[in-house]
Amino acid sequence: MKTVATLCGLTAMLFATVTRAEERPTFDSVVDAFLVKYCLDCHDADTEKGDVALDDIFDVTAENAEIWKSVWEQVSLKEMPPRDKKNQPTAMERLELANWITSELEVAMADVGGFYSHKLPKKANHLPHELLFGDEVPKDLEPASTPARIWRIHPQEHLVRLNALINIDPEYNPEMPGQRTAGDRIPWNEQGEVKVYYGLDRLQAWVGGTAAYAAAITGFPPVLTTTNDHGLRNYPIMYSVNGAEATQIAALAEDVVRFMANGPIAEPWQFDAKQRQQMLQTKYKGMDIRGTVQSLQYGPDPKRPLTPVYDLVQDETVSQENLRAAVVFLFENLTGRPPTDDETDEYVTLANDSIENLGKDDGVILGLVPIFLDPDALFRPELADYGKPDEYGRVMLQDWELGLAVNAAFSFLPPDKELKQAVLDGKMKTRKDVEREVQRILDDDAFRKPRILQFFREYFDYDRAGRICKDTGALRKAGYRERNYTEVMNEMTANTDRLVELILEEDKQVLRELLTTDRVVWNPGKETLYYSTFENLKEPPKPDKDPKKRKPPTPQQLGHTILPNGETVHVRVAEEVARYRKNSPKVSERVLTHLPKGQRLGILTHPSWLVSHTDAMDNHAIHRGIWVRERLLGDATPDVPITVDAMLPDEPNNTLRHRMRVTREAECWRCHRKMDPLGLPFEQFNHIGLYRTTEHGKPVNTRGEIFFSGDPELDGPVKGPYEMIRKLAASERVEQVFVRHAFRYWIGRNETVNDAPVLQAAWHAYHDNNGSMKALIESLVTSDAFLYRTVEEE
Amino acid sequence: MIDRRRLLKSVTAGFGAAMGSSLFPGIGQAASSLAPTIAPATGKAKRIIFFLQNQGFDPATAIPKGLKEDVSLDSIELPEPIRPLEAVKDKLHIINGIHGKHTSPSHSAYFGALGGYRGGIGIPPRGETIDHVISQRLPQTVLPHLCIGMDSLDNMKSRPTLATLSATGAGKPIFMHSNPVDLYQMLFGSISEGEVRARYEARSNVLNAVENIARQGGGVLPSAEAARYGSYVEGFRDINHLREQLSDISDHLAGFAPEFGEKFTKPEFDTDWHDSLLDLGIAALKSGITNTLTIGSGRGEIFGAWKGLGVTEQGHNLGHMDQPDNDIWIKIRQYNSEMLVKLVQQLESMPEDGGTMMDNTLIVYTSNNADKQHTAGQNWPFMLLGNCGGAVKTGQFTQLDGKRPVNALYTTLLHAIGAPCDRFNMDESLAAKFDSGVGPIEQLLA
Repeated sequence: MKTVATLCGLTAMLFATVTRAEERPTFDSVVDAFLVKYCLDCHDADTEKGDVALDDIFDVTAENAEIWKSVWEQVSLKEMPPRDKKNQPTAMERLELANWITSELEVAMADVGGFYSHKLPKKANHLPHELLFGDEVPKDLEPASTPARIWRIHPQEHLVRLNALINIDPEYNPEMPGQRTAGDRIPWNEQGEVKVYYGLDRLQAWVGGTAAYAAAITGFPPVLTTTNDHGLRNYPIMYSVNGAEATQIAALAEDVVRFMANGPIAEPWQFDAKQRQQMLQTKYKGMDIRGTVQSLQYGPDPKRPLTPVYDLVQDETVSQENLRAAVVFLFENLTGRPPTDDETDEYVTLANDSIENLGKDDGVILGLVPIFLDPDALFRPELADYGKPDEYGRVMLQDWELGLAVNAAFSFLPPDKELKQAVLDGKMKTRKDVEREVQRILDDDAFRKPRILQFFREYFDYDRAGRICKDTGALRKAGYRERNYTEVMNEMTANTDRLVELILEEDKQVLRELLTTDRVVWNPGKETLYYSTFENLKEPPKPDKDPKKRKPPTPQQLGHTILPNGETVHVRVAEEVARYRKNSPKVSERVLTHLPKGQRLGILTHPSWLVSHTDAMDNHAIHRGIWVRERLLGDATPDVPITVDAMLPDEPNNTLRHRMRVTREAECWRCHRKMDPLGLPFEQFNHIGLYRTTEHGKPVNTRGEIFFSGDPELDGPVKGPYEMIRKLAASERVEQVFVRHAFRYWIGRNETVNDAPVLQAAWHAYHDNNGSMKALIESLVTSDAFLYRTVEEE
Repeated sequence: MIDRRRLLKSVTAGFGAAMGSSLFPGIGQAASSLAPTIAPATGKAKRIIFFLQNQGFDPATAIPKGLKEDVSLDSIELPEPIRPLEAVKDKLHIINGIHGKHTSPSHSAYFGALGGYRGGIGIPPRGETIDHVISQRLPQTVLPHLCIGMDSLDNMKSRPTLATLSATGAGKPIFMHSNPVDLYQMLFGSISEGEVRARYEARSNVLNAVENIARQGGGVLPSAEAARYGSYVEGFRDINHLREQLSDISDHLAGFAPEFGEKFTKPEFDTDWHDSLLDLGIAALKSGITNTLTIGSGRGEIFGAWKGLGVTEQGHNLGHMDQPDNDIWIKIRQYNSEMLVKLVQQLESMPEDGGTMMDNTLIVYTSNNADKQHTAGQNWPFMLLGNCGGAVKTGQFTQLDGKRPVNALYTTLLHAIGAPCDRFNMDESLAAKFDSGVGPIEQLLA
């Protein structure tokens, strides 16, 4: 029998509240019992199975952290005790052990980099599903709440707000609902670059072609970033703003304010077509000015927003009234709320100091820069440091904090007029107030809601295709003969965006529809290759010897697939692209049509999703399997052990399935069994997304297996991707897992067992309303988890 | 709102101490009074340079054909890719047979390359990296650790700072500077004149004001949030503190600033900025403001471009090529070698302690990607230049047995600078699997 060590000090740990804690769990009360009951038979000093002995470690330290991490993951994910053992812990027993370990790890690792792995999206599924939905949900839970926090603003939010200061984007047009609209995310261009440009709307001409244009125009990329990992990317705990970013913002702010005040930086003759012609014929005669800022010609009238910053610089001297107005305007547009009088005074004083030092012109510009670095312009507070906490230590958000939180659930822009007025009128205090605003926002198409689309990007991970760097040889082998691979991949993300939005507009069985729809948004001019059958491709015809007669081969000559005609829809393209193709209004046009029957089903078979889960050389069946395991089944795989050298053999003439035989070795297979058989059905497609029936000359093997899904009806072998997708799309559990992901996205943290009622209500809202995303979001945004903050006691 | 006024009371509590070091590029713990006291090294070494080329360092591009055993380089001709190093061969030590199997170096070990631990894309550093540790142990300077990163022109412009290689601790990356114009302003802004000067000063005032505002904002934050907000405030504190210190010694700095010409302001090729960054790094070393320079050619990732050398391919495709006998890789490796030679010659031109700066310097050249792009890290070649105050053998090729990890090499470096330890970033359980020895690699030490 195991001896029990004393562990004073550790019992004072924070422990995730499950119910009103009568006694705090300790090593003695929780861990020792668990180990004795379920582990030590195989993992004591005598047995030491897998070289793991747990009978002589009692506390969690930085030194033994790896072992405890492993215990936490193995037990949470039901890898241990082995599934064939009859004696299995209950879900609650697993959770208690997991909570003890993770809270101990937080303390033990505090000085060595900290431990926060369990708070990241990747580990959210470690909480057993049956503790949230089903018979094992504990009774008498404390109500849900979220810790008081600050949330660094989203990089797109930052960019969209800066863009709104310097550009007037088109208002929402119900005729062309997919088109770029003020408040939408800033889309990337064909090269995958996200940028906001200065004065493009005023640009009338340039010297040279598109490359020269691209070099001549000035813009800026986002300063803030999010992780590029698979899955949800934006929890508050993940980001701060570092010194490097802050210095960049300061420099950028100068440029932005200068443009707001003075317009594009250019010589006076660049604003006049005639004068410019003269200059090109005299001063610049015979010179190559392609790609320089001087090569641009602007229209005579300002098109940018003329704001109080513009008014401020019109007068010879600085009027204090105008200065104040400029400060208030910038503050409100950068933080989302009006400044207090004290705040205004502070920034006015700073600006006056700066004007005194540098003179009016430069002084005004630099003097307004500090507002861009106001803490509230970079972090959105949810601190709830008002009112008396309830018996559970919770305070409900209200006024600006609540208004900004609700706004941020949908928008990248500051609150609209109605929401602002509601806060100012004291009508942002109750759950009813939130319901009113949420319903209004959800029902108004003109209120742009890019955050909803962002959720689907992060949930599905379909927006990575343009980021996958492909090996040239591997591209060729997959059937690729063209020159615009990355461009098309970047565009396909925008196409999938549009399909998602169309399905959201219908708002019926949203998840099921996304998984099984036969519809697709595509660009017939560019994407014929990617919906083709690999075996049908033909060698391109020999080019004509006479270069003048040479024409690119037609899709038919290449054996490409042409999808049926369909309805014209519009997608968002980068402003830069729209401008240089301004003579071609079709730049944002796409076709909503149908996928080839029997070959594709739902967005998991669209090239955007498929290629997003590949690598330079081949498909990535493991990532695809992990995606299905995590996002649909609500399960996870533990971190790869540090001693594993995770490499597949380099065998170009073998199938990926065959090369993955190395994952079947005993020590690998325990985890890989949970991912590989879910990813391999997608071998139906090659690594640039082409449908195929053979691989290396033999019929392609698309068999797979749903294994250990938690829903016995789902488990079993599948013949290929369509059978698997259909089964999963019909599952209630899959729907609940989708709801868990939506919870994480909108609440900004991993769910705990206390969130079970919130999750159940959200799922019912979705399920009972015929799969309505609106109902789901409304339920989440009016839930306790969204509205309440747990505050620290004084 | 983060109510700053109500909470002035907590301003004096400050952040620093709780926050550890900053996230600001290259500054690390810039002579910070809050930094813990660290025992200085006892060796003669005064500075160290790490140069990491991305995409792997194939041993065949550096090791003369047929060499399998330890040998003096005297009578041996260096292979074409590193032939420029002939000029400094007496200072060179080529090392083969170190491993990094535990660092997961395929594509890049990222922070793991200098940390000696498992790294990977998007994975935050697990602990401090060797360059940072050494910068803390060497005789202290104003800006102990400067990191510069070279990439394609577009990338350097759109992302002038990036952290992939160096770290002051777990979860605390150090940013590399990639825009030489910004870096020039940071280091030499105080010696500029006229308009540049006026703007430099006005900007300084703005940053001071912002620091004050930011400092007032953290008062009510819950403890977990204070840490994240603290790194925001810390960033400003470090920028402002460093600027003051550099400004104090501006007369001294004036003698070292590189010419601020068109290579800075109107670069034609990416390599123009690579050269400018190197010149700034050299100036920082020669002027004595920096003791540790980390150079990331390709910035620790799988991209990078060298169009100025006539290399039209860029980024990831370079990594897919075999390096030996490859014209492109010969050009890149030669370019690296020329930079190394420039570093040596520039440091030799500066008198120090009766000799030259180079006598008290060590240069460490390798890749963040072990021997090639897709690698398990069984072999990780290195080159050292300089004897580090007489501590390291030079003019030598050393073949090891592949059983000692990069951590053992870093342990050796710590011995060489006079800060000995048994292991660097490797606990005994990992060492049991990955290190056949303990302490420094004796064959390398003089």
